[in-house]
Amino acid sequence: MLLELKSVQKRFGGVTALRDGNLTVRAGEVHLLMGENGAGKSTLMKIVAGMQRSDGGHMLLRSHPVSFASPKEAALSGIAMVHQESLLAPHLTVGENIYLGREDLGPFGFVKRSAMMARAAELIEFHGFPLKADWTIDRLSPAGRQLVEICRAIASGASLLIFDEPTSSLSESETKEVFTIVSKLKEKGAGVIYITHRLEELRSVGDRVTVLRDGATVHTGDLKDLSRAQLIQHMVGRDLGALYSRQPLPAGKPMLEVNHLTRGKLLQDISFTLKAGEIVGLAGLMGAGRTELCRAIFGIDAFDSGDIRVEGKPLRVASPCDAVAAGIALIPEDRQKTGLATQLSVGWNLTLASLGAHSRAGILQSAKLAATEKKYIELLRIKTDGPSQKSVRLSGGNQQKIVIAKWVAQGARIFLFDEPTRGIDVGAKTEVFEVMDSLTRQGAAILMVSSELTELIQVADRILVMRQGKISGELPGRTTQEEIMALAAFEEKEALQ
Amino acid sequence: MIQRLLPFATLIVLFVTLCFVPNFLSETNLSSVIRQTAVINIMALGMTMIIITGGIDLSVGSILAMGGLIGTMAMEKGQPILAGVAIGILTGASCGFVNGYLTTRLKINSFIVTLGTLGIFRGLTLVISNGLPVHQIPAGFSFLGEGTVLGVPFVLWVLMVCAVLVHLVLEHTKLGRYSFAIGSNPDAAFYAGIPVAFHMTSVYAIAGALTGLAGMIEASRLMTGQPTAGQGYELQAIAAVVIGGGSLRGGEGSVVGTLVGAFIMGLLSNGSDLRGISPYWQQAIIGAIIILAVSVDELRKRRVV
Repeated sequence: MLLELKSVQKRFGGVTALRDGNLTVRAGEVHLLMGENGAGKSTLMKIVAGMQRSDGGHMLLRSHPVSFASPKEAALSGIAMVHQESLLAPHLTVGENIYLGREDLGPFGFVKRSAMMARAAELIEFHGFPLKADWTIDRLSPAGRQLVEICRAIASGASLLIFDEPTSSLSESETKEVFTIVSKLKEKGAGVIYITHRLEELRSVGDRVTVLRDGATVHTGDLKDLSRAQLIQHMVGRDLGALYSRQPLPAGKPMLEVNHLTRGKLLQDISFTLKAGEIVGLAGLMGAGRTELCRAIFGIDAFDSGDIRVEGKPLRVASPCDAVAAGIALIPEDRQKTGLATQLSVGWNLTLASLGAHSRAGILQSAKLAATEKKYIELLRIKTDGPSQKSVRLSGGNQQKIVIAKWVAQGARIFLFDEPTRGIDVGAKTEVFEVMDSLTRQGAAILMVSSELTELIQVADRILVMRQGKISGELPGRTTQEEIMALAAFEEKEALQ
Repeated sequence: MIQRLLPFATLIVLFVTLCFVPNFLSETNLSSVIRQTAVINIMALGMTMIIITGGIDLSVGSILAMGGLIGTMAMEKGQPILAGVAIGILTGASCGFVNGYLTTRLKINSFIVTLGTLGIFRGLTLVISNGLPVHQIPAGFSFLGEGTVLGVPFVLWVLMVCAVLVHLVLEHTKLGRYSFAIGSNPDAAFYAGIPVAFHMTSVYAIAGALTGLAGMIEASRLMTGQPTAGQGYELQAIAAVVIGGGSLRGGEGSVVGTLVGAFIMGLLSNGSDLRGISPYWQQAIIGAIIILAVSVDELRKRRVV
């Protein structure tokens, strides 16, 4: 047995993150770790990787009891972790980050830089990643950074690798590449722990699975013996029933019209209309310009030409203030960085965009604020100790609900959801879809960017597909993943064949 | 919680200890501590707001001198005392506005901007005054810094009014809430549609106004418009905020904390004066206190998150 964890416990202040974490990993297996957000998966892995210390229980590595005081100690024992949130040095290059802390040293402690960069370039090329060793990290998208993290873990030559949901920000082809890497590691006899929310991915990579729920291990077993419904049942402890399906509404008046929007090569002649009551999906591969489109409409990036109309009236957006005033809301893809002030309380984040309506002459009306905070915590079923709890303590799904509630409270009518379900567990995903549905029933229009094709098919009334800065086609909501992928990845002629 | 109360506990322990030092409890000494601390304290209130937004203002010492100089010059030119004080405050507010405007419009780090304006404001003050202090000030002006109301130094009343106002702004207005949001995560604040530049500029202007007022108090205590006043005060103001739990990363800080921080420094320096400890040592002690306060605060945060 490579790794054994026995009733590991961890508390943060008054909150118990782990009650009874049990996990065994054999050499040469891919072990999936599943559970809803907040079930304790990341905490358990951080203990294994030496980023946090357990408060109780035992950890055995190759049958020897171990306890790591730092990630470095864990790394020396052959454990490497690919993190969900990027832990890279943003001003250094890809190559420097891959070998950060493990640089080849020449005489007098000088770094052998060119040799190191060459090795990094070789590694990247070997795996066919769309990266260059001399790019700096701050130029990369979240997906690009994820790939660097993966390179870093591979380069360390670890015997136990932990992947914390690496594929949630990756495109299909990059996901396949990650799975190839995982299989190679497995053949070499390494143990791989793979945290994921995406049920679809499981079969192709996993050998065994451990399910955590509310800080305790509730199931361990072979993956092939487990049906999808059983797995979901273990995770949530109740039957989810059928997958989410939405009753479409008759489309109302046009809410948002985008005409010939162009921004350099990133956005080329984009035109579409969002009508009240509609959820329009926006599919595309990484770098197709989906996030850039949302940012342009929301006034974050200036565009060269084209115009935007809201309910028929032309809108000039110089900053998000203008977009917000016109009733547009953006739920950004990077929740931690741009969606929430995580160090502030749940209540403060909830009302951040609607303080104007909750104040008179700049003075806050605390009773009104408290009522709004309470209302939306209940309405969106945000799991929190109360409005004064720090947002950083909440799980991803509940954080996302705060971001959405912020805009609902503000009274927005046009919602741009950029990857609304990234890093969110199954139960919370359905809840997010329900909120989106109820918004459209109140007359809102929604643009939903997503890399999860099944989600788009389930939720959207129609789906726009982007490819290399252009809209390459439009599909009805009940389409197939293959049709979307054909438009997202290939030239029109190829797609027809 | 215990560690959050540490600054208060330190202040109380310090005060009780000093009660055993002869002359400490005398009225003259206590009111002199208050008068000395008030100037730094009022500046530190503005600094608290700036630090909460994640910024910093290194130019407050120069703003203090400029406010004091222009205000007293107005009086010298025959303006009434109240008008002179108002002009001093407005001068401070204008300097603060410049800091805020440059920081937000040129998108330069406030540390750099105010490092520059520290020199610019000081230089302008010296140019305007030709390096000479203003002495022709109406005698009644000394009341601001040296007067007593209901047996308490007038500056303490001024300080309390300012403290209550800044507290109300921070805790009960849109501007205050936005300041915390901007300091905690500027991107999230921008994405929430907050006019970040406008609110940050307002904060710098308010802090400038408070510094202008502090400049008038300083001028009143010296009965001189001194172009070289306030050198090094910026570090004392920043220290007060930091000792009181403000974080230079932004998003944290409170009026009560800052008051406690400023009084801890005031009492330390007064206490060592009374015990005959050299002022050279005082500087070293206050430096050590700053590092101690911040490290205790870091420990507290590390445990929570």
